Order: sequence, then C-alpha cells, then structure tokens
Amino acid sequence: MDFIVKIAEGFINLFQTGADTFIDWMGSIVPLVLMLLIAMNTLIQLIGEKRINKIAQKSAGNPLLRYMVLPFLGSFMLANPMVHSLGRFMPEKYKPSYFASAAQFAHTSNGIFPHINPAELFIFLGVASGIQQLGLPMTDLAIRYLLVGLVMNFIGGWVTDFTTSIVEKQQKVKLSKKVHIDG
Amino acid sequence: MSKKVEIVKGSGGFGGPLVIGVNGKKDKVMYVTGGHKPDIVDKICEITGASAVNGFETSVPEDEIMAAVIDCGGTLRCGIYPQKGIPTINIMATGKSGPLRQYITEDIYVSNVDVDQVSVVEEEADAEDATFAAQEVSPDESEKESEQQATYSKDKKIMETRAAQENKSLLTKIGLGAGKVINTFYQAARDAVETMLHTVIPFMGFVALLIGIIQGSGIGDLFANIMSPLAGNIWGLMLIGLICSLPFLSPLLGPGGVIGQVLGTLIGVEIGKGNIPPNLALPALFAINTQNAADFIPVGLGLAEAETKTIEVGVPSVLYSRFLNGVPRVFVAWLASFGLYK
Repeated sequence: MDFIVKIAEGFINLFQTGADTFIDWMGSIVPLVLMLLIAMNTLIQLIGEKRINKIAQKSAGNPLLRYMVLPFLGSFMLANPMVHSLGRFMPEKYKPSYFASAAQFAHTSNGIFPHINPAELFIFLGVASGIQQLGLPMTDLAIRYLLVGLVMNFIGGWVTDFTTSIVEKQQKVKLSKKVHIDG
Repeated sequence: MSKKVEIVKGSGGFGGPLVIGVNGKKDKVMYVTGGHKPDIVDKICEITGASAVNGFETSVPEDEIMAAVIDCGGTLRCGIYPQKGIPTINIMATGKSGPLRQYITEDIYVSNVDVDQVSVVEEEADAEDATFAAQEVSPDESEKESEQQATYSKDKKIMETRAAQENKSLLTKIGLGAGKVINTFYQAARDAVETMLHTVIPFMGFVALLIGIIQGSGIGDLFANIMSPLAGNIWGLMLIGLICSLPFLSPLLGPGGVIGQVLGTLIGVEIGKGNIPPNLALPALFAINTQNAADFIPVGLGLAEAETKTIEVGVPSVLYSRFLNGVPRVFVAWLASFGLYK
C-alpha cells in the first residue's frame, strides 16, 4: 500500500513542480511582459507604419542601413511577421539578405522588447529563467544579446549577399539590383 | 475527373470541413512543410487531379493555389494563407493562434489532418459545388473587408463629425487628442492581453509542465549529464550551433521555434541549478537558434513580394548563410560574454 502511495505522490509531484514554475512565471514574467507589450503597442500605433516605410525606401542603397538599421527599427516597429514586408522596398538581389537579417533581429531584440516576437519568447526566456533563478538580473543578458545581435545580424545579412551570388551562378540566373516600387 | 475532396479536422483539430477541388486556374496544392511531402498532399492530388508544388523550393502565384498544406505549430504560417483567402490544411493540431489568428476561421482552415480525414465528395452536385466553393471564398473575403472598412469608417466618422461640428476650440482639440491617445492605449492593452492569453501563456504552461516532468522525475539528472558537458563549455555550444545550422536540418528544426524554445528551457534549468556557468547563457542563446527562421524563408520572401526567381535563389542562399554564420555567431557571443555575471 505504501508503495502505491509513494508512486501516486511522485506522480502528483511532477505536476506540482510544473505548477510552481508556472505560477512563479505568472507572477513575475507575465505582468512585466504585459506592461511592455502595452507600452510598445501604443508607441507603434502613435508613430505609425508610414514613417517606417519611408525609412525603408531610403535604406535600400547602403548595406549598413539595409542589414542593421532598417531591420532593427523595422522589427521594433512592425514586429515579427510584418518586418519582412519591408523587404519589398529592396532590389530583388538583396531580398534574401534582408530576410536573413530581419529574421534574426526578431530574436536578438526580443529579450528587451518582447513585443517583437512574443510567440517565440521562450528562446530567450527559457535560458533567462535560469539566470533569474540564480537571482541575477536578466537585463544584462538581454542587452548583450541585443548588442551582439546588432553586429552579427548585420554580418549575417552581408554574408547572404555573397551566398546569393554563389547560388545565382549555380542556378544561372541574375537577380536585378535595381529597386522598382509600384506603390 | 475533377472530383472534389472533403477534408475534416482530426481529433483535437480545428476548423473545417473544407470542400475543395480544381477550379479554373486554381489547380495546385502547395505544401510548405520544410521539404518533406506529407501523404495527404498525394491523396488530395490523386482525387482532384491537382498538381503538388513544394512551396519551400519555389513559389506559386497566389491565384493558382487551390489549397495550402502546412505544418505550423502556431506561430505564423497558419494565419498567412487564410489571410490571403487560400484554403489551408494544417497537419498539426493548431487552432486559432499566432499573430494572425483572427484570419483562422472554420470556413477556410482545418487542422490536425491526416490521410484518414481526406475523403472523396460524391459527384452529384459537382457543378453546383464548384460555383459554390468559388463563391464561398470571395464573398467571405469581401465581407471581411467591408466589415473592417465599416468599423473603421464608423470610428473615424465619430471623430470627424465631432471635429467638424464644433468650431475646434482649444479645449475640444485637447479633448480629441486625449481621447485618441487613451483609445490607442486601451486598444494596445487589449491586443497585448490577447497576445498573452493566446500565445505566451499557453506556451508557458507547456514549458512549465516540461520542466516539472524533467525535474520531478529524475530525467533531469540524466539531462544534466548530457547537457552540462555539451552546453557547459564553448566547444559544446558551438557544436549545438553547428548541428542546428546544417542546411538540410535547419528547416526541419525551425517550425514555430519550438525546438529552440525547448532547448533554451533545458539549458535554463541547468543554469538555474548551477551546472552551467551563467555567463554561457549568452552564447547559448545564439547556439540554440542558428536555425532561426530557416523554415520560414519562402513565406518571408513572399511577404517581401519577391519574384519566383528570387525565392528559388533565396532559399538555398539563406540556408547557406545561416550555416556559414552559425558557429561564428556563437563564438562572438562567447567573446562578448566575458565579464557577464562576474
């Protein structure tokens, strides 16, 4: 009989541990992320999408603007899925590179600005919850994540320019480097 | 020859039943499933006479797509095609979720579909069905649009009429401005709560249960033995990064970022226990995510209105660049982690 009770206790214990973790997060992470989300959503609404589109149009010519400044601002302003829509202002040749960079900004900035990609927040939070458990501040990690991302995502976008050239040769096609915007 | 298929939801699925068939130019079943071809695609094509297209390798003009088959765990893709008015079949059990969840409705989306959920529709009402099906999509879309427009213009009219009616005194101007700001805040709060309820908290529940099982059952110790040597030093982390960025593997690891999120949680648990030094959290963040969005390339390029040619070049190009970048990213992050939490 004792044996069965032990097993039952162990079984419930699995869920109790999970429940403790869950309610801990509900009390700490959820309110914080919620407040950030509200503030960021408001800010984005007030600034408006038109302005970021204008920046996008001007950024197409320069790699530094194209793969660092624009995807950073774009992911902040338009958040995860829609940041990729800014790629329409790029010449065909640079669209893959812009995608490569923007997709990574949807993660590296996510530590400080969780509104960018709330659905995949746990890439950061999963690791960061360990930091929190040790009683260390998560922000240090989030800031370094963002800064390293800023540099490496830019390099990522740039490297994609070269891989695109290689694939172009493989497939024997040439992608246009000219911007054409139809509205 | 042009039979129709009826697709119902699997147990635990959402939406449907959908009745689809070849209709004029719409004769392609596009599957965006990270490369492999689900069996249901073959079955649908066999019945309807449609042709299958791998949306991961090439793109199809939207007006030729009869249906889209996806395997999205609830982040983005499950909403993208419904948003465009394309009937969407998800082989995962995802319901209304993700940032585009408002587009996921029963009449255009069905999930947890396997071969058994696909059946032939009796031919009797074929012609009727065809026109019906064709109509079904378009009025729906226009209805949605008009609805959206209606509320939008309503909203604006109140503001406009108010703004026009009175001779805008300073007080009115302030009132209108404040009202607008407060409304924006309120709407932002509504959106944020929605996102938390539908996207973040469900995932939290899942991860918390996972942690409970790992820690409570003793599997945790087993994991610790495997993970600590691997994730506990820079070489192991670079190895994780390398594996995740392999071009033939990365699209399979991508969907929904789920693998990355689970790996992140496992490493987080070990950091919390003190088995992995906290400064390695930074390179770990990069290591578990070198496959970042590799499954999403065609869809993302689609959002950028890229040409078919560009998508065909772009998919391998981004996969290669992810591979080239993966390990160096982890290494640079490790260099940047010196002095963190010391």
